[in-house]
Amino acid sequence: MGVRKQIWKNWSGSLSFSPGEILHPESEEEISQIVKQANFAKRKVRVVGAGHSSTPLVKTDDILVSLKHFKGVEAIDLEKSQAVVLAGMTVKEAGKDLFRYGLAMHNTGDVDVQSLAGAIATGTHGTGKELQNLSAMLIGVRLVTGTGEIVEFTQAQDKELFRALQVALGTCGIFLKMKLQLQPKYELQRKEWCVPIEKCIENHEEHQNRNRNFDFYWYPRSEMAKIRIMNKEGDPMPEVPYGDLQRDKQGHSHEILPRTRHLRFDEMEYALPIEHGQACFQEIREVVKKKYRKEVGWRTLYRTIKADDAFLSPISGRDSVTISLHHNAGLPFWEYFKGIEPIFRKYDGRPHWGKKHTLKAGELKDLYPNWELFQQFRRELDPKGIFMTPELQELFIPTE
Amino acid sequence: MKPYGKIDWAFAAGRIPFRTQGKEPEMTSHDKISVLNLSEEEAVLEIAVFYEDEAPKTYEVKIRPRRLKKIRFNDLIDPQAIRMERNFACYIKANVPVVVQHSRMNTGSADLAEMATMAFPDDA
Repeated sequence: MGVRKQIWKNWSGSLSFSPGEILHPESEEEISQIVKQANFAKRKVRVVGAGHSSTPLVKTDDILVSLKHFKGVEAIDLEKSQAVVLAGMTVKEAGKDLFRYGLAMHNTGDVDVQSLAGAIATGTHGTGKELQNLSAMLIGVRLVTGTGEIVEFTQAQDKELFRALQVALGTCGIFLKMKLQLQPKYELQRKEWCVPIEKCIENHEEHQNRNRNFDFYWYPRSEMAKIRIMNKEGDPMPEVPYGDLQRDKQGHSHEILPRTRHLRFDEMEYALPIEHGQACFQEIREVVKKKYRKEVGWRTLYRTIKADDAFLSPISGRDSVTISLHHNAGLPFWEYFKGIEPIFRKYDGRPHWGKKHTLKAGELKDLYPNWELFQQFRRELDPKGIFMTPELQELFIPTE
Repeated sequence: MKPYGKIDWAFAAGRIPFRTQGKEPEMTSHDKISVLNLSEEEAVLEIAVFYEDEAPKTYEVKIRPRRLKKIRFNDLIDPQAIRMERNFACYIKANVPVVVQHSRMNTGSADLAEMATMAFPDDA
C-alpha cells in the first residue's frame, strides 16, 4: 500500500499542494539540521506560518517547516517598549501576550490569524496615514541562514541588511525570534458608519488626515460605503452626520484593531502612491459597476499607510493607499482580479506579496528601486538558494 | 402587541436585474423582501436561496422586536454573493411569526415599473 501524501491548504482554500514532507521541529538546533540536510540532499525548504497568504510563497515539493512549537514572548524591556516574539506566534497570540506585559503593536490589519513572522515577511499592514506596516517593528532577528547557521542581527548594527530582512518572503533565512519595537499598551475607540459612497469620497481626505486609523469599504451593489475610524481613547472622534452609526466600541488595541472574520475570501491588493489613490479607486468603481457586479457582491477596501524604507515593501519610499478587491472563497476570482489589475498597474501599483497577482520578476524588479540590493543580501544569506523554490524564482529571477 | 404573521414563507420568482439607471443607491435595481416583526422577540430569519443549477445557499438576518427591515438580495454576500440576472427562489424560516413581502425595482429601462407581491405563507 502506498503512503498517502499530506495535502496542505491555505486559509482561503484557493491554494493547495502536497509537500514532500511537513516537519514540526521543536528546537532551533533541529531547524538548523533540517536546513543542513536539505543542503546536502539538494532539497528546498520553505517555512509555513498560518497559511493566510494566497500566493504560492510556501509551495514546495520538498520540505515544509511549521514553527508551531515556537511560541512565546521574552526579553521584555518596558523602558524601551521592546520585546522578543518567537516566530511561531500569530498576530493575535502576540497581541494578547504582549498586552500581559503592558506592551502593544502600533497597528495590525483587519485579520489577526496570520503568523506575525509571515505578516512581517510579506509587508502586511493595517491602516493609518501616520502608521507604517508591521515589518517596521522589526529591530532584531535570530535566524537560520541557508547554510544552516544560527545568527543574530540587529537594525542598530546593520541598517542596510535590515532593509532587506524586513520584507523578505522567507528567502533570507528562517526566522526564529524577532525583536520588536512596540508601544506601551493603549486603548482605542472604534466607530463605523454606513454612508453613501459620494459622501465618503467627499470627506475621506479629512478623515484620513485627522484620525489615527481610517479606512473605508465600498459595497459595489449598493453604492454605499462603510467608514471605519479608530482613535486613542480620549482623543476626539469625528462627527459623521451624514452616516448611520453601526458600531461604537472601546477596548485594548489588540482587541479593537482586528475584526472577526468567519467568512473566507480571496483578495487582490495593490499599493499606490497616495496621490493616485482616489483616481484609481474611481476608475475601479466604474469598471466594477459596468462589468463585474453581476457576479461580485463583495466589498473593495481602501486604506492608507505611511512610507517605510524596506527594500521590498510595497510601501517602500512612498506614502501609499492600498486598494483591495475581495471575492468569496471558492468562487472563480481570476476574471475579476485580472480585469482590474491593469488599472492598478496604470497607477504605479505594487502588489501585496501574499495576495493574488500575476506579476513575475521581470515586472516586479522595475517597481522596486533597491531590487538588486535586496537580491545581493538574499544571495549572501542563502548562497545555494535553499529557500528558492520554482515559485520564488518566478518572483525574483527574471527570465531572459 | 398581538403576534401576527407566519413562521414559514416562500416565493419563487426571484431575479435581481443587472441594469440600473439613475442615482445610486436610491435607484439601484434590486429584489428585496420587507419583513415586519410584530413580536416582542428578535426575529432570526434563515433565508434559503434556491437556483435552477446549483445547491441552495442560506443567509441569516435578524430583525429587532416590533420593527420593519428591508432586505435587498443584492446585499446578501455571506456565504456567497447572489449573482444578478439569475433566476432564484426563496424559502424563509423565522423563529417568530413575521410578515414577508417580496418586491423588485428595475430601473434598467424607463419602460419598466416596480412591482410587489406577498410571499407565500405556510399554514402548517
